[in-house]
Amino acid sequence: MPAIRGHAARGAKKPPAGFDDIRDDLEVFSIKMKDAQNTPTANIPKHQAQWPIFQIAHQRSRYVYELYYEKEAISKQLYEWLLKNGYADAMLIAKWKKQGYEKLCCLRCVQTKETNFNSTCVCRVPKAQLKDDSQDVQCVSCGCRGCASSD
Amino acid sequence: MLRSTYQPSHNAPPPLPPGWTEHKAPTGHTYYYNTTTQESTYKRPGADIPLPAAPTPPASGPQDPRASYRQYAGVGSLANPAAANAFLAQYNPQAQRQQQHQQPHGARGHGDRPRPQPHDKPRSKVAIPGCEPWVLVYTKYGRRFAYNPEKRASYWRIPEKIMQGVIELDIRGAKEKAEGKIAAQGDEAQDGELAGPGDNSTKEIVTERPESAHEDEAAQEELGSDYEEVEVTDDEASGAEGAEDDGDGEHPSKRQRTEEPNEDDREMPVEFNEDDIAFQLQAMGADYGLEPGEYDDGNPEAWPEGAEGEPLSNEDARELFKDLLTDMGINPFSPWDKLVEDGKLVDDPRYTVLPNMKARREVWEEWSRAQIQVVKERRAREEKKDPRIPYMAFLEAKANPRLYWPEFKRKYRKEPPMRDSALADRDREKAYREHVARLKLPLDTLKKDVAALLRAVPGRELNAKTLLEDLPAQVLTDVRYTSLDAATRDPLIAAYIATLPPPPDQAEAEEDEAARRARDERRKREKAMQERERIVAEEKRRQQRQLEHGRAALREEERELEKAMHVGKKGIHSQLLAEREKGLLDEGAAKGDGDIAMD
Repeated sequence: MPAIRGHAARGAKKPPAGFDDIRDDLEVFSIKMKDAQNTPTANIPKHQAQWPIFQIAHQRSRYVYELYYEKEAISKQLYEWLLKNGYADAMLIAKWKKQGYEKLCCLRCVQTKETNFNSTCVCRVPKAQLKDDSQDVQCVSCGCRGCASSD
Repeated sequence: MLRSTYQPSHNAPPPLPPGWTEHKAPTGHTYYYNTTTQESTYKRPGADIPLPAAPTPPASGPQDPRASYRQYAGVGSLANPAAANAFLAQYNPQAQRQQQHQQPHGARGHGDRPRPQPHDKPRSKVAIPGCEPWVLVYTKYGRRFAYNPEKRASYWRIPEKIMQGVIELDIRGAKEKAEGKIAAQGDEAQDGELAGPGDNSTKEIVTERPESAHEDEAAQEELGSDYEEVEVTDDEASGAEGAEDDGDGEHPSKRQRTEEPNEDDREMPVEFNEDDIAFQLQAMGADYGLEPGEYDDGNPEAWPEGAEGEPLSNEDARELFKDLLTDMGINPFSPWDKLVEDGKLVDDPRYTVLPNMKARREVWEEWSRAQIQVVKERRAREEKKDPRIPYMAFLEAKANPRLYWPEFKRKYRKEPPMRDSALADRDREKAYREHVARLKLPLDTLKKDVAALLRAVPGRELNAKTLLEDLPAQVLTDVRYTSLDAATRDPLIAAYIATLPPPPDQAEAEEDEAARRARDERRKREKAMQERERIVAEEKRRQQRQLEHGRAALREEERELEKAMHVGKKGIHSQLLAEREKGLLDEGAAKGDGDIAMD
């Protein structure tokens, strides 16, 4: 039987250079995420229980995305290392690169097959096209208030 | 406001003679002190020269209104309430006496002594025809305001709805005066001052050009320009209700009528229109040393270029915000949300130079991008330092034989040397364990080990010129170096360095290095060539051998072929016969030549 290796040796390689710059902020995100996961959800509606999780995941992915694509602050190696180690959602970032999805809140909101009328989530509707614009809509899946590119 | 910046420029006092300094007494008086003679006086020392711009007021009351206006013009304009009140009080001895007890207010006329600031109060009221509850209240100094006793609201600016009534009232009053009161000019001149410029101008028109056709227009225009949006403050309003004793409360600084007529306009009053008013306002503002934007003449479009105070351009605002970000030491790698959550920026006034969050975020993005580039460039310029050096220095400072590695690691997990990802945790642990283990060794061993370490360092890196502060990395990262106490180690190293020869000549060393490299290269090349030759020779040999082998095979084959060619047509018998013959032949050959002769 092969030796059981510890977490450090399991392939989590040493992070590439430049990780020290963003480690603190990523740590803040992971702390937030842990807090969100540990918050009791007994007194909130069931569909809202995962909203904070989605939001923090979105923020963190956005952070990594902006660092690499917009500010060019991190190297490709580091970016890939971050993706591999789960600091950002590669699938979500892949959507952000497409026109019309620049601000997409979560992948569930574009899953048309999961909805009754094969439509996207209400948060994908531009503010200008909403009939009742006085109402503050929050989408069911992640609590997004609107992530259309034109907003 | 006008008052705060009030500086009658043409009344500006001449500069003080050398040695004199100007001071302010606690009472508000200005006095002058001569440092050389130690003499102090309320009188301005340079004032023996008569001021050309400040004519002495006439001793007797003004004879005609124009004369009175010239006096005003000499004073400057009365747009400033403080100045106006002070000036009027000068001509109104009773008022001055009444107000003598008041605190001097810092605002002065053009006398040397500060004058107590007189207090304006309502004097008379006139019901405005057509708009019943409203009354028009005239104050002692000729200002007027609209007052609604039902709603207890009063406005310096006449509200739109009662404007028509007020204009009618003014016109009626002007006509009355034109008809019946020309004779009593002298008295009216005094009244005229008190009744306000709106009335003044109409009266002027009346005296000079009695036709009433122009009066209306002029009156309207005058009125149109003298309404201001300032609401009357409580003490004045209560005075309007009839409470006469509106005591010694502070006179609030008000914006006043600002279209103070000056001499030129008196000459041709008919042409007095909005443009003239605007022009006068600007001229007066210039007199006061004000920027056009600082008082409101009602049409900001007509202000000269850049009139709205010190203009803060968009670019400046962005730069200011960037300065703020830099000053606060914001990490350019941090996300925007963190910046907002921390809320450190909000307290700074520079935070508000940008209008909204979107603009701020934009500027932040720009700033952080630039900042990250700066950081990257700096990193690239810095030489690569061994990450072990700071860690070993840290160990030397903090390591403790009583702490196990996990405890130590946990205790100092926030320290930068412990977080540096260039160094693996395993290496850190190893160094710590070694270091701590060596701390328990006897001092002599440690000293010996340091000496051994120093001896092992090549002369190029450690020599007589080496400073104790920058020892080579080979020494600094060694546990033998860190585990000896600095107090005993440093003298030891210093002594050792003193015994060392000077560094090998830099060029020579360089040459040596280059030569060695060349030699190595050459050896490597030669070795490679030999290897290649060997391989080639072997190949050649192999080929040769193959060739030989091939030839031999060929020969063999040829021989066999040749043998096969000898086979005749008589079948195997003949062949056997031939064999036998051959055998016989061989025997015969062995016997001799006789047999052949017998055949």
